[in-house]
Amino acid sequence: MIYREGGQIKTSYAADQQLFPINQDRWVIYGFLVFLFVIPPLFATEYQYEVILYPILSLGLAALGLNILTGYCGLISLGTGGFMAIGAYSAFKITTAFPDLNIFIVFILAGLISALFGILIGLPSLRIKGFYLAVTTLAAHFFIEWAINRIDWLSNYSPSHTIGGPPRDMFGIAVMGPEADPAAKYIIMLIVVVALGFTAKNLVRGRIGRSWMAIRDMDIAAELIGIKPLQTKLLAFAISSFYIGVSGALYVLMYLESVDPEAFEILTTSFPVLFMIIIGGLGSIMGAFMGAAFIVMVPVLLRNLFPALGIDIASHVIQHIEFMLFGGLIVFFLIVEPNGLARLWQIVKEKLRLWPFPH
Amino acid sequence: MNKTVSQDATVEQAIAGRPDHTADILLSVDNVSLNFGGVKALQDVSFNIRRGEIRAIIGPNGAGKSSMLNVINGFYHPSEGMITYKGEARSDMRPDIVARSGIARTFQNIALFSGMSTLDNIMTGRNTMMNRNFLWQALHLGPAKEEELAHRAKAEEVIDFLEIQAIRKVPVGRLPYGLQKRVELGRALAAEPELLLLDEPMAGMNAEEKEDMCRFILDVNDEFGTTIALIEHDMSVVMDISDRVVVLDYGVKIADGSPDKVRSNQTVIDAYLGVSHD
Amino acid sequence: MDFLYNVSIDPVLQIVEDPVFFIQVIAEGLMAGVMYSLVALGFCLIYKASGVFNFAQGIFIVFAVLCMITVFEYGVPIIPAVIIAFLAMVALSWAIERIVLRNMVNQEEIIMFMATIGLSFFLEGFGQTIFGGDSKLVPVEALHLGRDAIIIPMFGSSIRLQELDLTAGVIAALLVGILALFFQKTPVGRALRAVADDHQAALSVGIPLQWMWVVVWSVAGLVALVAGIMWGASSSVDFSLVVIALKALPVLILGGFTSVPGVIVGGLIIGVGEKVAEIYWGDALGGSIEEWFAYVLALVFLMFRPQGLFGEKIIERV
Repeated sequence: MIYREGGQIKTSYAADQQLFPINQDRWVIYGFLVFLFVIPPLFATEYQYEVILYPILSLGLAALGLNILTGYCGLISLGTGGFMAIGAYSAFKITTAFPDLNIFIVFILAGLISALFGILIGLPSLRIKGFYLAVTTLAAHFFIEWAINRIDWLSNYSPSHTIGGPPRDMFGIAVMGPEADPAAKYIIMLIVVVALGFTAKNLVRGRIGRSWMAIRDMDIAAELIGIKPLQTKLLAFAISSFYIGVSGALYVLMYLESVDPEAFEILTTSFPVLFMIIIGGLGSIMGAFMGAAFIVMVPVLLRNLFPALGIDIASHVIQHIEFMLFGGLIVFFLIVEPNGLARLWQIVKEKLRLWPFPH
Repeated sequence: MNKTVSQDATVEQAIAGRPDHTADILLSVDNVSLNFGGVKALQDVSFNIRRGEIRAIIGPNGAGKSSMLNVINGFYHPSEGMITYKGEARSDMRPDIVARSGIARTFQNIALFSGMSTLDNIMTGRNTMMNRNFLWQALHLGPAKEEELAHRAKAEEVIDFLEIQAIRKVPVGRLPYGLQKRVELGRALAAEPELLLLDEPMAGMNAEEKEDMCRFILDVNDEFGTTIALIEHDMSVVMDISDRVVVLDYGVKIADGSPDKVRSNQTVIDAYLGVSHD
Repeated sequence: MDFLYNVSIDPVLQIVEDPVFFIQVIAEGLMAGVMYSLVALGFCLIYKASGVFNFAQGIFIVFAVLCMITVFEYGVPIIPAVIIAFLAMVALSWAIERIVLRNMVNQEEIIMFMATIGLSFFLEGFGQTIFGGDSKLVPVEALHLGRDAIIIPMFGSSIRLQELDLTAGVIAALLVGILALFFQKTPVGRALRAVADDHQAALSVGIPLQWMWVVVWSVAGLVALVAGIMWGASSSVDFSLVVIALKALPVLILGGFTSVPGVIVGGLIIGVGEKVAEIYWGDALGGSIEEWFAYVLALVFLMFRPQGLFGEKIIERV
């Protein structure tokens, strides 16, 4: 009764192709966006920023980037951590070299550098398919990890190759660095994420998105109907790497504030982000963020749940439980609903359309 | 887009009203051979396709018919011989370049993009004609949006023509076989090809579905003058709708001419009845 | 200029100046390569027989050997401990087949690969809960694995090999031989190859898919146990070994995913390649190039021969 499309007739293709053709969808999304921009700056505590909001935003963006490559274009990548590193170190070098440059521009430049590397890594994809391509991304990741540990110039000659977010401000408000106002940082990140999210949605529902999905579903047929395989794949790598690079910049300069190369280790970056898109739903923009929220929140909930229940468990045991839970959920989702939480959400909406009728 | 043939017209009536063809040759296959390691898929095959005609390619299983289409498409490169299309001769060309030069096809085992809807699949057929770059696409404003809407309109014409409006948003993986074949035809038509290659478009269909498919094929040939090369096993369909027929057997051409001539050719009869070869 | 010299001329000079050392490096590379092959062998088996790239093979190795060590530490003699560990792997295979594989018949390769990643994480958490996170030592003496060094005089100087490594080599060779025979000659082996090709087709000709999978994964479990013992004997065993599993990928790429002899050859090439590159070119490039060398080597290989040395050539049909 609530969620009915009845009476919402479209009289033009333009109306049919809107981002949110169903009115209720549109209100919910816009409402949610207003909520995101207004409520946390008013009420969120620093803990909530650090533990929930910053990670979901930065890792969600990384998941979005990976989803473009793996979910939409079918090119599996285990190198997410490497590209986050490229973005982070690029942003660091650029902002330390040009301290007055607006940080939005810094992020975009960092993304562009990451995109260039992405194109390079993507070049073998013409000859190498599927699963073997994962190995080239592994090669890239390990090489990048090695490089950031060796090339002193990248971290401005810091002995432990540490980089971080130096103090920066915008319109007089401190937005980066130890003095920065958490709400300001949050708004900056939110702006970047929302802008890139909408951009991704536009790309995905047009010609380029269709080309990617065509390559994913049947690359030979795609080529035979005129889609240029190398260009399409390289574009996927480029755009994906751009997003992941920007997410790396956000991750380090805004969220963690100071990292050494260990932060980009494959088991703590590439794999969790891959899990995010599997759980959230391959080939879904919203799914990337749902997956990120899930993976970020579950440990937090677990860590707070046991003390709340009065059960005293050591933190490393909680970590083991997390591993088991994530592993189990990955398998569960892949068996039951490979399209992840996003699809489950769609099913809920479909049921809502009929509610209170059973069918 | 109007139909000159009404919904209820029979196939025979449609054939009766068709025009003669010019002698203008659209595509010619010259001495093409195709080898895979030790297997000779095609041996020294030559034939041509005239502009505006419906050319059937028939032969027993394994005769090399799909391989022939794959060569025309650029997916396989002939070991010997040339393909001349619109006056230009070539022996190997990238498949996507072939597609952009006006050749579209359907496949024996449906090659639809299962993760996308009917409409999206048909829109991929318009891909070669869309070229606003990704920056415009990212903003989905102005030129990119206009382009998308213009092509959407064209895709809808194809959907109307094939009478598949009801399933336009359904993911094609969920459609029954006959409808999938129709969507695949739609994707090929969306590219507005000059030459349409159909690989067993009626395989697995019942009599009614075949009539519908025949009607569509004839309409495409009539309405748009599209040249059609057709692989088909159903002899009655071949005899009824094609202008000329070429027969392959074990990769070799054994007959070439009008349906009647081919039907009464002893070599052809032997091939189908399985008389032993050397 | 210095850099160019270090990268091109200097290494060659070094090799020529001290050929015995070069042979030592190669020997060590071969030994390392054998270890890689043992690890990769488990992957190859499962891929060959069920068409799945089992990312969890790495955790299998750790799991199997930790199981054996734990049982042994409880006072069980060594041979029963090994057998119990093997039985545990069989039980694990059975559980995986029932819970995971049975529900994923005919899914795409990529989906199954990601499922094994999930499995790997699950087993890591599970394993750490059961066995604890500490590092453990393989009871080398009880297994009668010698740890001595063997010195072979050569050309006036000498090279030094570890008895342990040689033992590993012999065991690997035996395993490979038995497995190769198994796949080529026995009906079960043929059935397994059919399964790898097409699950549904295999089912339709009456091959009992479920049992086949339990068999294969159990064999892979056995290989994992052996690999874990040999690997652990030369250092120690803890959960960081899981990352070694990633090294198996370049080995499989070089050798071809479905070829058992290929795995051995691939492992040896990677082992030697890594060692030689590190010793002679490592310093010039900043050290520790072993971290990425194997992957880059595999990448280069893939560009020219996508199916690996021994793999089957992929022909695409429309």
